[in-house]
Amino acid sequence: MSITLKSEADVRSVGVPRRRRRRHDLAALLYVAPAIMFVLVFFLLPLGMTVWMSLHNWPLIGRPRWIGFANYNALWRDHGFWNALAFTGRYTVAATIGLLAVGLALALFVEKPRPLVGLYRTVFFLPVVIGFASASLLWAWLSSVDAGLFSPLAEQLGLTNGRINLLATFDPAFWSVTVMVIWKMAGFYMIILMSGLQAIPADYHEAARIDGANFWQRFRFITLPLIRRPLALASILCVSGSMLAFDQFYIILAGGPQNQTITAVYWIFNQSFVSFRLGYGSALSVVLLGILMVLSALQLRLFGDREPPR
Amino acid sequence: MKKWLCGVGGVLAALVAGAAQAETITMWARSDDSTFMPKLVDAFNKSQSLHKVELQIVPVNELVQKYAVAAAGGSAPDALSLDLIYTPAFAAAGQLKDLTDIAKSMPYFEALSKAHLSVGTYQDHIYGMPFSADGSVLIWNKKLFKAAGLDPDKGPTTWAEIRHDAEKVNALGGGVRGFYFSGNCGGCNIFTFTPLIWASGGDIFADNGRKATLDTPQMRDAIAFYQEMVKGGLVPAGAQTDTGANFFAAFATGKIGLTPSGSFAIGALNSQFHDLDYGVTYLPGKDGGWSSFAGGDNFVVSKSTTKMEAVKAFLAYAYSLDGQTLLAHNGSLPVRQDIAKEALKGLDTRYLVAADAMAHGRTPYSTVFNDLINSANGPWNTMLNKAFFGDPDTIAPTVRNAQDAMQSIIDTAP
Repeated sequence: MSITLKSEADVRSVGVPRRRRRRHDLAALLYVAPAIMFVLVFFLLPLGMTVWMSLHNWPLIGRPRWIGFANYNALWRDHGFWNALAFTGRYTVAATIGLLAVGLALALFVEKPRPLVGLYRTVFFLPVVIGFASASLLWAWLSSVDAGLFSPLAEQLGLTNGRINLLATFDPAFWSVTVMVIWKMAGFYMIILMSGLQAIPADYHEAARIDGANFWQRFRFITLPLIRRPLALASILCVSGSMLAFDQFYIILAGGPQNQTITAVYWIFNQSFVSFRLGYGSALSVVLLGILMVLSALQLRLFGDREPPR
Repeated sequence: MKKWLCGVGGVLAALVAGAAQAETITMWARSDDSTFMPKLVDAFNKSQSLHKVELQIVPVNELVQKYAVAAAGGSAPDALSLDLIYTPAFAAAGQLKDLTDIAKSMPYFEALSKAHLSVGTYQDHIYGMPFSADGSVLIWNKKLFKAAGLDPDKGPTTWAEIRHDAEKVNALGGGVRGFYFSGNCGGCNIFTFTPLIWASGGDIFADNGRKATLDTPQMRDAIAFYQEMVKGGLVPAGAQTDTGANFFAAFATGKIGLTPSGSFAIGALNSQFHDLDYGVTYLPGKDGGWSSFAGGDNFVVSKSTTKMEAVKAFLAYAYSLDGQTLLAHNGSLPVRQDIAKEALKGLDTRYLVAADAMAHGRTPYSTVFNDLINSANGPWNTMLNKAFFGDPDTIAPTVRNAQDAMQSIIDTAP
């Protein structure tokens, strides 16, 4: 501490004159000002507003009334929210495992130069650029029992006896949405993981191969440890994205069958814009933000460097 | 000189007086109204030169949110053509101007749609005036009826007859089904399913919407009626997950025998599906009688508005024979009963059935209608979806659960 103080004092007395230094700081501030403004206006202000609203009984139409922490108290007894959160957790596990596994498999497939690799990469990445809403609408149509593709196709191929309404019972409905998400997003994680794979020097694999390591051993002991960071990035993006899932369940299933696929964000949307309780919806959002922060911190720890500091 | 001054004074006085009276009001309407609202507003603006209405069409699913944001920011439109079921919620939130005096001073007040006024009234004050209307009816495919050996000109008048006709049509096979309804759409079913209950003597709310009365024999019977048709294979499998997308489209394919629908379907079928020959009749009770859901819009005025002269002039025009005829010819039923027949003159006679159904129709009253009924995840839709596609012994407990869930939402409403 004393050392830093001393060195600062040194700089002050010996180094740049104070006035020029201040002007320097001001210029730097000017350069980052747009970014600061951006964060302020589009992140901090809305966040502050959300917290402020969560302390009110804030109807969509009508006058807000200060109620302190009553929304947060009510939240503990809101079974709907906790059920929605449990479902979101279940979906997150399924989607994350599916996305990372498929993304990694695709990345391994397109990582090395081979004929048509450019085409494969493009094809795998294409669904990513479709919006979630459009993809959901497309899937809703494909899954429709009367006018769609899957059910009539399964019937014609003799896989099912008669047409099955995929969206009418929980398991097929849940899995068809999850498969849609994997189809749509796997290409994105493929790109992230591919960049990690390409950064691994070829010598490592070559040396291991000479030592007699088979594919699985090389994958387990060379590839996986060396793509830990891109994998951590992919996993954090995937978990936080899945925890915020809404569009696909709203558009394809409308939370059905029997309200079994209502996600946390869907519940917040319902409270805010169907029941018109913006204040309560804000309180739920704040809690969800907290949960997400904890989850991300946990993952950072899990994937963090555990090598001794150099 | 004096004369000249007088002249200028006169002109100035006229100008000032004119400026004080001429008013431009902004008005919003939901996108469902986009066929008749622009025409009505244009006609009003052309009919006189003093006032002017500026119309903005808002996507139906965003209207409440947009209005709420605008009202909070002090830029709410002067007037709004509001889905009538929201009138109690808006009035309860203190957003609307009391129109009681204006309404009662109209010579034709008694002839205005009673159902619209019932939801337009909050604590004995009128906040919403009947504006556009839509009534639920039962429609049937005449070609399929004929092919099935039924009288194509006679619609069913009891539930047993609906079932019988649907079975006959269903027996035609080849992708043809007897009956259709959107089984996962609360808004569709409040419109087409509750009339079955009303016509049988039941109701879903009592005491100005403060009490839910779902758990009645009429409700259980009506659900059982639908459930048996589902179990009998008379309804396409897609109905179970239809959130309203095929509410109209299923019948328009020409492969459905009967479906409960609305007067809006008459215009849509006539303009887009010329080859489809269909009949329109009332939604019957279990053993006869009939009822209808009177839907449509109420005209409401934002509390902050001061331009009441223009509002009055616009309402007067909308209620005139010209206004009512224009509405009737562009997809809305007339809301003034004393001139309804005249306004509907020259139109398809099937509109007369729908207009009569609407005139004697009902509208449920609740300040939390969206929460209870329209929400895809609310107690109404959850109950119907579960019970329609469940087993006979699930009906009673499902209805009881929904009754409790509704009552608890009503009791905890802010």
